[in-house]
Amino acid sequence: MSFIEVKNIKKTYHVSKRRSGIPGMIANLFVPKYEKREAVKDISFSIEKGEMVGFIGPNGAGKSTTIKMLSGILYPDSGEIICSGAVPYKQRKNYVGRIGVVFGQKSQLQWDLPVKDSFELLKAIYRIPDDTYRKNLDRFTEMLDMSGFIDQPVRQLSLGQRMRSDIAAALLHSPEIVFFDEPTIGVDVLGKEAIRSFIRELNAEDNVTMIFTTHDMQDIEKTCNRVIIIDEGSKVYDGTLMGVREKYGSSRKLEVEFMTDTVTEPIEGVETVDTDPRHKSFIFGKEIHINDIMAELLQKYSVRDINITESDIESIIRKIYSKEETV
Amino acid sequence: MSILSTLLQFFIFYEIYRVLYHGAEQVDGITLKAVTTNFVLSLGLGAVFSPNDYFLPGKISDGSISTELLRPISFKGRMIAENVGNSLFDLIFKFMPVLAVALLTTGMSAPAGATELLLFVISAILGFGVLFSISFAIQMTSFWLINVWSITTIKNVFINVLSGSMIPLWFMPEGIRKVLDFTPFASIYFTPVQIYLGQLSFRETAEKCIIQIVWIVVIYAVGNVLWKKGQQKLVVQGG
Repeated sequence: MSFIEVKNIKKTYHVSKRRSGIPGMIANLFVPKYEKREAVKDISFSIEKGEMVGFIGPNGAGKSTTIKMLSGILYPDSGEIICSGAVPYKQRKNYVGRIGVVFGQKSQLQWDLPVKDSFELLKAIYRIPDDTYRKNLDRFTEMLDMSGFIDQPVRQLSLGQRMRSDIAAALLHSPEIVFFDEPTIGVDVLGKEAIRSFIRELNAEDNVTMIFTTHDMQDIEKTCNRVIIIDEGSKVYDGTLMGVREKYGSSRKLEVEFMTDTVTEPIEGVETVDTDPRHKSFIFGKEIHINDIMAELLQKYSVRDINITESDIESIIRKIYSKEETV
Repeated sequence: MSILSTLLQFFIFYEIYRVLYHGAEQVDGITLKAVTTNFVLSLGLGAVFSPNDYFLPGKISDGSISTELLRPISFKGRMIAENVGNSLFDLIFKFMPVLAVALLTTGMSAPAGATELLLFVISAILGFGVLFSISFAIQMTSFWLINVWSITTIKNVFINVLSGSMIPLWFMPEGIRKVLDFTPFASIYFTPVQIYLGQLSFRETAEKCIIQIVWIVVIYAVGNVLWKKGQQKLVVQGG
């Protein structure tokens, strides 16, 4: 039995189809139209204690719905979820006291109160013992550099400051599992880095299980050792980030600049892309040894510059999303 | 502002009935004083009993229900606590001023006795329970309807007309009144008012209070079933 077990969960939404305009409004009154949309169809996975897992997938893929089911907000239509010995949506009250959730798009802080007062309120709601609260607050204030704005009302914070406060708020009660739903959305580069290193540190020190959703591949590369790719409500991939490269993006690209205008002969197994008479790209898979191509090119033509690029994770993901054949 | 509007409402009603009474001592055996007392108490209680009908619907419609459900507390308990808190505020800042102004201007009947006053308070709390249960059950429909403005408005019209706060139920035809006595609507304001005026025997008082309790239990149970079913239907709006 793993720490988090998810078996064949499904969730279908009824989306109301509204026709626009006044005739449309009248028509809706008498004949409402609904459409079934399967947000999550048959997803299963298991996660061990202390793992950091990234959920990625295009908008509307079902990531947030999955997170909401895991955190006890939504009921799955069918399937089973067991997190840390509890069924989240059935034992909600008990379960949510042991988890923390950060929604990048929705603040959980009190809009008009200073950050610190919001924290005090959470302390009361979660019945956090005084010493734990002190310890966590001091630690998070330092790690997330919050001392400058902890006494300001939430509405006056910048997005980055608000996000850091929200993250601290979700962790004050030392949860066993933390869900982050797009925690770095709209945050600048430095802020993102602060958040990532905080998450890494916390995972390493406290062995907190963390589950992420994000659109920023850097978040995943810098924090998670495991990714689950979801597309159209189904799991497409589950494994390490390195594995994604191996499975989907084994191609490499050699960009060559020649001294003079050159026409190259085709090389077997290599795709040649002409940019202009002096620049060409050669794209090839793992089965071809880079030395062979280089040797051939250097022997036959006069080359000014060579640049090798491995397909980056972002472009691999782009390919998976757009369902291109992997090269 | 709401104090002013409550006072204004009170004087409008008072004037209408004063004109209708046209100087007569009593109509159909009901004195103007009793009618006035009915208004003071039911308007005053009405100002205190104002459950926030859009507490859950608002949270469902803007998606903040998800944040609420992430707290290790009972959502229903939170709804009750919030309403009781608001009502205590309104008790001091709305009920008391109306009562004071009425005593100084139009005059009203004193409670029939100390026991009646105590029973009035108990029955008024039960009346609040009935009103809250109705609001609670209606709010639960927002899991399906999302926009509950129309059903809430219908509910409020029913309560305004049938609870006796606009037209005291004494003036209703005997047959209709007999039926209304058993509806939850009469339990809200009219039962406490009757107890206050000493119009009910001890036996009747007990009966009416039991009716109040039965309605609270029944309507709350219906709301609770909707709550259980609704959670499974919940869709968090806005991503």
